[in-house]
Amino acid sequence: MINAFLVFNGQGQPRLTKFYTQLDTQIKQRLISEIFTLVSNRPPGSCNFLPLPPLLAPPANADPQQHNDVPSLVTYRHYATLYFIVISTSTESPLALIDLIQVYVEALDRLFENVCELDLIFNFETLHATLGEMIVGGVVVETNLDRIVAGVKAQGTVAKRPVNEGRGSGGAGGFASAVGAGLGMGGMVWHGR
Amino acid sequence: MYGCSPLPTCAQPADAGCPRFEKSLYDLIRGLRNHKGSEKEYIQSCLKECRSEIRSQDMDVKATALLKLCYLEMLGHDMSWASFHVLEVMASQRYHQKRVGYLAAVQSFRSDTDVLMMATNLLKKDLAASLPIIMSLPIGALPHIVTPSLSMSLLGDLLPRLTHSHSAIRKKTVVTLYRLALVYPEALRAAWPKIKERLMDPDEDPSVTAAIVNVFATLTPLEPRLVRKLLPPLTNLIRTTPAMSLLYECINGIIQGGILGDASDFSAREEIASLLKYVALLAFNKIVATHPFLVAEQEDVILECIDSEDITIRIKALDLVQGMVSSDNLISIVGRLMRQLKAASPSAELNSLDDSEQDSSDEANVDPKRRSKPQEPLIPLPEDYTIDVIGRILKMCSQNNYANIVDFDWYIDVLTQLVRIAPTPPPQEVESDSATSISKLAAEISERIGNELRNVAVKVKAVRPAAVRAAELIISRLTIETSITRPALNGALKPVAWVVGEYASLLASADDALRNLQDLLPRIRDPEILATCLQAVLKLFAYVAGNDQIPWTPERKSMVSLLMARVIHVIEKFVSHPYLEVQERAVEFVELLKLTAEAAAGQTPSTAELHQDPPLLLTQAIPSLFAGWELNSVAQGAQYNVPIPDGLDLDEPIHPDLPRLLAQADSLSLPDQSEDEFAAYYHQKPPITSISSTEPAINKLGEAPEYTGSYQQHAAEESYLDPDTIARRKAERMERYRDDPFYIPPEPIRSSTPIHNILQKENGPDLDIDSIPIMQLDLGPTGTPSSTPKPIAAKPKPRQRIVVAADETLSTSLPNRASGTSTPRSYDSDPTLSRPSTAATRKAKQQSLLQVDSSHLESLSLDASESAAALERQQREEAEMQQALREVQRLRLEMQRANERIMVAQAKGVTAEGVVVASKPKKKKKDDKEKRVKVGESEGVEGKVKKKKKKKAVESQKAEGSGTGSGTGSGTGTGEGASEPAAVGVVKKKRSGKAKRLVQLDDREEAGGSQ
Repeated sequence: MINAFLVFNGQGQPRLTKFYTQLDTQIKQRLISEIFTLVSNRPPGSCNFLPLPPLLAPPANADPQQHNDVPSLVTYRHYATLYFIVISTSTESPLALIDLIQVYVEALDRLFENVCELDLIFNFETLHATLGEMIVGGVVVETNLDRIVAGVKAQGTVAKRPVNEGRGSGGAGGFASAVGAGLGMGGMVWHGR
Repeated sequence: MYGCSPLPTCAQPADAGCPRFEKSLYDLIRGLRNHKGSEKEYIQSCLKECRSEIRSQDMDVKATALLKLCYLEMLGHDMSWASFHVLEVMASQRYHQKRVGYLAAVQSFRSDTDVLMMATNLLKKDLAASLPIIMSLPIGALPHIVTPSLSMSLLGDLLPRLTHSHSAIRKKTVVTLYRLALVYPEALRAAWPKIKERLMDPDEDPSVTAAIVNVFATLTPLEPRLVRKLLPPLTNLIRTTPAMSLLYECINGIIQGGILGDASDFSAREEIASLLKYVALLAFNKIVATHPFLVAEQEDVILECIDSEDITIRIKALDLVQGMVSSDNLISIVGRLMRQLKAASPSAELNSLDDSEQDSSDEANVDPKRRSKPQEPLIPLPEDYTIDVIGRILKMCSQNNYANIVDFDWYIDVLTQLVRIAPTPPPQEVESDSATSISKLAAEISERIGNELRNVAVKVKAVRPAAVRAAELIISRLTIETSITRPALNGALKPVAWVVGEYASLLASADDALRNLQDLLPRIRDPEILATCLQAVLKLFAYVAGNDQIPWTPERKSMVSLLMARVIHVIEKFVSHPYLEVQERAVEFVELLKLTAEAAAGQTPSTAELHQDPPLLLTQAIPSLFAGWELNSVAQGAQYNVPIPDGLDLDEPIHPDLPRLLAQADSLSLPDQSEDEFAAYYHQKPPITSISSTEPAINKLGEAPEYTGSYQQHAAEESYLDPDTIARRKAERMERYRDDPFYIPPEPIRSSTPIHNILQKENGPDLDIDSIPIMQLDLGPTGTPSSTPKPIAAKPKPRQRIVVAADETLSTSLPNRASGTSTPRSYDSDPTLSRPSTAATRKAKQQSLLQVDSSHLESLSLDASESAAALERQQREEAEMQQALREVQRLRLEMQRANERIMVAQAKGVTAEGVVVASKPKKKKKDDKEKRVKVGESEGVEGKVKKKKKKKAVESQKAEGSGTGSGTGSGTGTGEGASEPAAVGVVKKKRSGKAKRLVQLDDREEAGGSQ
């Protein structure tokens, strides 16, 4: 089961937070900052999996064999200015999670037509809608790109980024190209190979 | 402005073209971006605006404010106060507003959000909506906000969605059902026929089937025949596929399915990419539990991973290594880890400096490859990782009562080294109570290291002297490192001090140890360490001063008096220590020592003509405090096995009139006879336990302890042990081989050198002794060429037969502990501890953040072919349960309705519409019940009420608990008597069981009524 799906940028500012359990706002923020610290200290060429942040670390006397429900896998991908994080239990396939992030980004790319961080900032409702088409209650329900995009579009028109907020300003631009590169490699791509 | 159509034609929240005073989300975000540096103030002002806007009558303003709040929530600003407004927006007629409401609910509702129960009708209505996009809003939101009562009342509305024409809706419904079932397992039973139907439907969208299988895989154990069918194609794929990822998935499938029959081609995974390294390790981790030998074949690759730069990979590899450690590879594995730790420890550079000097003489012995190997790159390891690694080293070594350790000298060296490497908590954090978890962990880990050293000293008698000396070293080093301004915080001090005190006779210099401990005492902050150290000081004093063999000369008298004065001086500072344990010991010891000092001062020293004994207090009383039986390690939980004597009632007061008795005792002097008996029992050793004092015979046989390590091992060890440890080892080695004719000691002691010199002096410089030809002697297989210093390395590694004492325990009823295999560390698997009562608390403790607990479903069985008795019982329970639940539901709805009415009155008809629609069909029943409840609750008159119904009401009230009951002030309202069709499946089977319960309830009700 997927326990949380997070998107934040290189400065640790959240762009999307989705927790599949109920948590206090403060704890959410702590978790995000812990994961951001982990993710931003990765040496180049590392694999796409993070050690567990202190908040999620199992209690010292926990029996590892006892439960499959404990979140024990933190998968991430890095696209230009953004980090995409999935926290899940060990029952999820790690490779499938990497693929899931890729599908999510590709879906956003289709919806926004060459997506950049700015689109995500101003349309976080669409981010939620897209994620809602893919994951329900922590379970992946759809990975077909066409159907995801169709599902989101059925909910209403997707706003374009504001005209006067140019591409050059702020943290805009860039990550679409990374997606494009990913597209060419058949969906089974990961960084640091 | 937006049109009135409920269709999502205008879902654009950033409506820049519309002039209004309120900020849109777009404005908010742009404002945030324009207020760099003063975001806090800006957000506060925005929150203020939102607070007023959200109370607006205009639904658009309300929804926009809510959307802004959601955005701010993402940035860390609580919005739980707005939960009622969330509900209002959820009830909006317009899709885009509704969507904002649902999003806000998902993001901000908690299980304790009290408006949640008011949402039931709204959710019901939206679930029944005709438009798929509206319908999927509650379906998607339910997993986030679900509670048992909510899932119970919504189950009936959700089930029809399993047959919806859109496959997306069906899929989402399946998942939502799963989440409902997690909190309310009965939901699954009701939904199962429909789910099965979906699974059987040949026209079903494969992705829906996949979702069902995915979600409910745990509940439908694979058919064994399927396994056999699957294995050949899977292994075929593994052999042939070029795609690494597919390879992994196949292998993973095999492992997770538990169908690892033949040892398939696992070596294929040796080609490792950085990502696949991780997943391969994951896979290995799963295999290692069942097929350790397969993994052991890949040891090299895995050990490589331990040195990876990537911490994630390292940790996974460590997990793995822990499972495959054995006595053969333990030393090399721990060596690797130690090198890693040492390279990253702050003192690394300092040590490597004198490393080169000290080792120069040893260079010849060292494997050149090792030396030429480039130094590990200095990666600063995170502290928690360091702690984790140390913990793992200790665990690996101490597993199964030290089964894997062949060389305890090595282990003691490793422990000594670890004490130095272990991170010490920064002092300021310990002083304040708000010590972070890391510094707590750091203190814990060094205490664990110390505990290991203590365990070795206690359990392994053969190396006890070495362990005690190591403890001595640690203490002297700590004395040097710390000062008054740099307090001693190392957690290892406590057990180490205990070792030094307990085995004082084995110390190299008890005087030095005593002095060091005395110096350390004022620098210790942790009271528990302090208490142990105080005890150790007195034990050492007793050993140093309490010898009754040495004559009581004037020198000795003054020496002892001085020593006592010093000890008293040090301990006296703690007489008023706030920590009781410390205070008590300090007071006792000071008084005792003062008495002894008096006695010593009064005892005139013996002269040449008059022999005087040293004061008995010094030589007999104080040492006897500590010299009882030898202490052995006791198995954890052995206390549980102490049988409670018959007739022992711990609750019974010792004496009915204890105070009087105590008062009497003050004026009473008792004969001392009983004390003598006690002393005799305590001090005289029964002959049976004599094993504890005699060393195992095997250890006495070998004059010199057999050396087990090889030279290669030495070289490796030297790369992680500190120079002083190495020097000590070298000295020991030299000592050991002094009489060994095959061992050529290094230059300075070379015995031939003097002769060489003498010869040269006698015969003049023209005699070249080295040119005299020496006949090559071939002594055959028995002779060892004396020039090679490695005869020992060539031997097969002899196992040092060291007796590791088992933990003592009482009962034989628990064979695994009686046999001594359990170490204190196996606490978790201790059978006495996994009692039902503790199991529950343990589970609760282990509930992790973010975790969704699925264990409720484990007990639920959907199997129809159960034994008849169980089935009947189950049905009976079910029937009772469902009846009760229906009542609960009815009451809850009544209360909810009442609440909603109040709300409606406050918030002018926002939810009114939905309420009316839902209640229409049950009008008649409602009136009936309304009257009844009104009578019952508001006036407390019971006579008119139908007994049974009322009873149920009370019961359900109880069952529902205070959670629902508290929110309502009135009992009026409508009832929804009819329950969901799905829930009625097996009702009213058995009435007889019911009757008894009703009688009980009767009483309860009367009690309640009289209040």
